Amino acid sequence: MIDWGAFVVVFAAALVGTVVVVGLYALGLRLLVVGGRVPVVVPAEFTDAITVLTPAEIASAERKAAKAARKNPLTPGQRRLAAYTAYACFALCGLAVLFGIYLIVPFFHAGA
Amino acid sequence: MEEVTLLIVLVIALALFFDFTNGFHDTANAMATPIATGAMKPKVAVTLAAILNLVGAFLSTEVAKTISSGIIREGDSGILISPELILAGLIGAIVWNMVTWLYGLPSSSSHALFGGLIGAAIVGFGVNAIDYGVLLSKVIFPALLAPVTAGLVAFAATKMAYSITRRYDGRPDGRSGFRYAQIFSSSLVALAHGTNDAQKTMGVITLALVTVGMQDAAQEGPQLWVVIACALAIALGTYMGGWRIIKTLGTGLTAVKPAQGFAAETSTAATILASSHLGFALSTTQVASGSVIGSGLGRRGSSVRWGTAGRIGVGWLLTLPAAAIVGAAAAFIAHLGFWGVMLDAALGLGFIIFIFLRSLRDQVGHETVVNEVAASADAVKITRPSKRSGTVR
Repeated sequence: MIDWGAFVVVFAAALVGTVVVVGLYALGLRLLVVGGRVPVVVPAEFTDAITVLTPAEIASAERKAAKAARKNPLTPGQRRLAAYTAYACFALCGLAVLFGIYLIVPFFHAGA
Repeated sequence: MEEVTLLIVLVIALALFFDFTNGFHDTANAMATPIATGAMKPKVAVTLAAILNLVGAFLSTEVAKTISSGIIREGDSGILISPELILAGLIGAIVWNMVTWLYGLPSSSSHALFGGLIGAAIVGFGVNAIDYGVLLSKVIFPALLAPVTAGLVAFAATKMAYSITRRYDGRPDGRSGFRYAQIFSSSLVALAHGTNDAQKTMGVITLALVTVGMQDAAQEGPQLWVVIACALAIALGTYMGGWRIIKTLGTGLTAVKPAQGFAAETSTAATILASSHLGFALSTTQVASGSVIGSGLGRRGSSVRWGTAGRIGVGWLLTLPAAAIVGAAAAFIAHLGFWGVMLDAALGLGFIIFIFLRSLRDQVGHETVVNEVAASADAVKITRPSKRSGTVR
């Protein structure tokens, strides 16, 4: 009567989808950092929930990121490779999301 | 015939109002975490959520089918549910939704809707009116399992995101870069919300149309104008609900970090989308809360505040039966005939106005505006101080 298989499918789909998307993005970030391009993304707006960063703190974070980039042990070629692989990871992550949406929208499967 | 037309207009109006409150209530499900980590400006986030809810409503109709042709046995083989009972069910759902909203109880719009309909159907036709198999497999079990699924998945994803980006040498780890990802993952949650929640209302309106013969029962899905009306109602509600979450974020979500927010949002979106696809009508609020708790536990030095978690759980369990009781009472009155229905509508309207006036009186700052998702973040305690100088997190 109760389709237990369907729950397993939901769990598996959610797990695989999330692990792929989050994993690829995290890997991309790691590679950016390895390649010396540390992203510093400041909160868009300091709502009540966010500790306000002063401009000095933000500048200090950016200096630290730049310093890490200068002290990078990799050769320029390796750094470029790391950065390109990072962008490939971000692109794959985006494609995985689009594929997930494609799978669930009946409009794309109307012919089948 | 005129009575029937009036009834249908009332049902549709109430259903759309329910849809509106649903959007109003749930803006935060998608947008609380990105606003809390500063991934987006609140106004941008709310606008984006409204647009994506609108789009999401057009993407799938599985959940609408579960409601319009699943739970209550109608048609030749079963009973013929009347629009009066649907009206009663809707009143039950709206009343319970607004009570929980006013008193800040964690609740689920979806379960309120099911509860109201079930209560009304039982009063109308006895306990055999409900297809308990469908109720269990498409509503009750998904309700219990989906938040757990989302929580486990978010837990795993958070652990993974942190371990992949962890640096032991104290150099910048670039985790603030997860803010960009959050823009996309929270958009997905808003989209998923549209695919699941807007459809519940479509299902109810379709059910009402079928009962009075305005739609052929053989035609399973909702008609186009129903889809459009529901999509617009939920998008408008989402947009209007924005002021509330912008003002309430001081409460619970202070502990959420970008990596964690991203993992939680992705897990929420994946769970809802997979469930919508299989026609499970689950509560997006509960899934989002499950994810936030799971991802909180995925961080180092975290523990559960069982008191807070327990309070959330009790609220969830209470919703369906409580809405069923209100729905049953409304159905009882509706049984008095035409004037009973009018009395129902008047009582429902009076109640909505009463709640609205009450909510104006104590506005913001009151505990009523504490959002469920924010409250669920509060259920996880992070003991390890995570602020390091020289990094933006």
